[in-house]
Amino acid sequence: MDQQGQNGLLATFREPWRTRGAVAYGVAAVLIGFYTLMYFRDHLGVEGGALDPETWASAVGLRSRWLFYGALYSVAMVGGAIYYLRRHGNSRYNRIRIAVNVAVQVVLAFTLPLVMPYFFTGDPNQFWKYEYYFSYFWPLDWYKLHPGSLQNVPVVLAIYSIVGALVAAPLLAYFFGKRWYCSWVCGCGGLANTFGDPWRHLTSSSTSSWRFEKRAIHTVMFVAILSTFLLFLDHLVGGRYATFHHVVDGGQWWSMKSLYGYVVGAILAGVIGTGLYPLLGPRVWCRNFCPMAALLGLFQKLGRFRIAVKPGMCISCGNCTTYCEMGIDVRSYAQNDESFTRAACVGCGMCAHVCPRGVLKLENAPRLNADKKRVGLPIVDL
Amino acid sequence: MRVVIVGNGVAGIEAALAIRAREPDADVTIVSEESDHFFSRTALMWVVSGQLSHRCIEPHERDLYARLRFTRVRRRATGIDLARRELRLADAEPLPYDRLLIACGSKPRPAPWPGAELDGVGHFVTLQDLEWLEEELHGGPSRGGRPPNADAHLASTTPDSPYRRRPSGWKARGGPPKHPVVVGGGLIGIEAVEVMVAKGLRPRFFVREEHFWPIALDPREGAWIADALAAHGVQMHLGENVHALHGDGAVARLAGDRGEVPCDLCVVAIGVVPNTAWLEESGLELDPRSRGLVVDEHQRTSDPHVFAAGDCAAVRWFDGSRRPEPLWYTGKFQGRVAARALLGDPARYERHVWFNSAKLMDVEYTTAGLVNLGVEDEREWFFEERGAVRSTLRIVLSGERVVGFNALGRRWDHSVWIRWIEERRSLQHVLAHLDESRFDTELVPPLKIPKDLRKKPAEPRAPSARTVAAPIY
Repeated sequence: MDQQGQNGLLATFREPWRTRGAVAYGVAAVLIGFYTLMYFRDHLGVEGGALDPETWASAVGLRSRWLFYGALYSVAMVGGAIYYLRRHGNSRYNRIRIAVNVAVQVVLAFTLPLVMPYFFTGDPNQFWKYEYYFSYFWPLDWYKLHPGSLQNVPVVLAIYSIVGALVAAPLLAYFFGKRWYCSWVCGCGGLANTFGDPWRHLTSSSTSSWRFEKRAIHTVMFVAILSTFLLFLDHLVGGRYATFHHVVDGGQWWSMKSLYGYVVGAILAGVIGTGLYPLLGPRVWCRNFCPMAALLGLFQKLGRFRIAVKPGMCISCGNCTTYCEMGIDVRSYAQNDESFTRAACVGCGMCAHVCPRGVLKLENAPRLNADKKRVGLPIVDL
Repeated sequence: MRVVIVGNGVAGIEAALAIRAREPDADVTIVSEESDHFFSRTALMWVVSGQLSHRCIEPHERDLYARLRFTRVRRRATGIDLARRELRLADAEPLPYDRLLIACGSKPRPAPWPGAELDGVGHFVTLQDLEWLEEELHGGPSRGGRPPNADAHLASTTPDSPYRRRPSGWKARGGPPKHPVVVGGGLIGIEAVEVMVAKGLRPRFFVREEHFWPIALDPREGAWIADALAAHGVQMHLGENVHALHGDGAVARLAGDRGEVPCDLCVVAIGVVPNTAWLEESGLELDPRSRGLVVDEHQRTSDPHVFAAGDCAAVRWFDGSRRPEPLWYTGKFQGRVAARALLGDPARYERHVWFNSAKLMDVEYTTAGLVNLGVEDEREWFFEERGAVRSTLRIVLSGERVVGFNALGRRWDHSVWIRWIEERRSLQHVLAHLDESRFDTELVPPLKIPKDLRKKPAEPRAPSARTVAAPIY
């Protein structure tokens, strides 16, 4: 039977592993170590040893450490989804959303990249061309809109990359909010909502954390767009300007393309973004650094998605703010009877789910019509 | 202007915010015996269960007082000198004021039976009650700890203060209770039951009435909630009065209508009364029945410089009676009106269509209008849904006019219902447009009412002993 809302039986703040106890620090250390090895194995002198992720991959019969990572990722998401559904599965929105998200990960982000190359080429050196991840788009998958990548993949996939990133993603975000991606499709969001769900209440909802978020995420977005532009420029005129080419795509660790990969892809998304789950909540990357989240957030702000608030009913209990994984102070809107759209909101639906008074509702509605239906209460007559 | 506010609760803080919004330079002092920081009293249960921390239930950031220049005084107010316009404090100099706002709320109704002073017996209303119940059930506060200066009130508190921490039975028992009991079938009672269930306990729940929460639910609705409680292992004692608590130092047994039961923790939740004992000698007019402060529609008391808002104020209801409205949102509204009125604006508090909502175990509850009050020519339309969603919807009519809604199991937008009540809509109109008031979370299948039931006329109800005329809003 469907019951909306939590049942009041969560014991979150009485469990040390979920409230920055010693175990939480231990898990964070393991995650940080794991991501450091994944991204920096070439620089750490672990090649061929027991600490080399490539060794782990071949031990389980997978052809690269990234497919091994995909397998591990899928296992973590399935396990986390079971935990999630035990806690929040009494809501149909939660059940369907998590099922779709896990299916996208297992099928589009693991199985297809694993098997697709076998159908299109017999040459293992060409496998990478067909190891295509359909569920990731530019600028989150920053490499997808590089001139090099577009030229090297089959034309159909190149078109998919361009239309997906520049047309479909923004349009869907306009009509349904960025949740269509961040909470239903994206693997980063999927891991956060499953494996990371035990720590969702740790995201800070302070004003200062919001200030940091706005600066950081828009900086990364700006850098992602500018650097993509420079790569195209380099592709067109780089041959004529050796220094420019050197700086943009020269292959040294300090050239722009490598640096973006290390800083944004490896450190912000991986080591910090996932490594700090047990300490700062599961959306450190999505909230503060993901360029795709920033871009879709702008379309969300202009679009139809919003969280509707029933007037007068909020009791300021703080369940919504506490369980918002994006650190949005939902209560500050609810207690002022303000329906709102925040660029950060990934539409996970948890605020509406945990609200004991049924005050909040996610909706995609042309605003004027929705507001006509919902009149304010003229209780205070001035 | 010097404004002194007694009470750091929702009415007091809303008033302070409204004053600051209008008067950037007003000198605002907030006096509180209970807490340093405004917190949501309605959220205490989640702190006990561990779903929220102490910090989570504070609706504003802690720099609020400094940022908006509210002076805080952690002292007990002991009386008012109306002639000198001074608020008297325990162990401190009196505070002079130009305008005084009393927003000191309510306190638990004391248990009228012997044994209420035993260890392991307490209420569930104040911050100190919260700490007491956390100690009783868990042996201490949840992670995140107690707020700073949690004990600052002890400097001026008295033994009968509602902000005095009750002694816990944890030590005597050597652990959590085995036989917890909750007395009082209202919202605080069911919340106390719920936190015990969350802890894995099987409490006994003593409800004086024949079904759960008769002020808000009818027997069918109450039975559903009682069943939901029983399904979680709660032992319901419906229609049973409590006579005494027994024990040697700590409570051990409870005597009710149907004999004695073991009891090593007893939460008494039999209502609240205005916290106005300290005003008995002040000269301000108190309502003889409720002991709330008598206020006019501007929240002004019998003294023109003194205002009152929230649970401690006895306001005029639509039926002409005078009593407090112990609700969160009315405290908020009254605080805002009092703030504007004490600054000289012609703000008036008008009691509008009643509404409320709650979560009873895992069942949603929404209401609006005149339900369970007895109206002239009362009729009723009732529908129960048993499918993917279980829900009930009860629509109350006075003659042909819809005057009230009561719903369990689904979420509804009460503001649309209120509009229909104001517009004096018929049952047919309401049923035809019911979808406009849907507020279920997304993907929940909508309520489908079969066509024949949609045409079913509302059934007349037996006239009740006392009826009220449905007001024109």
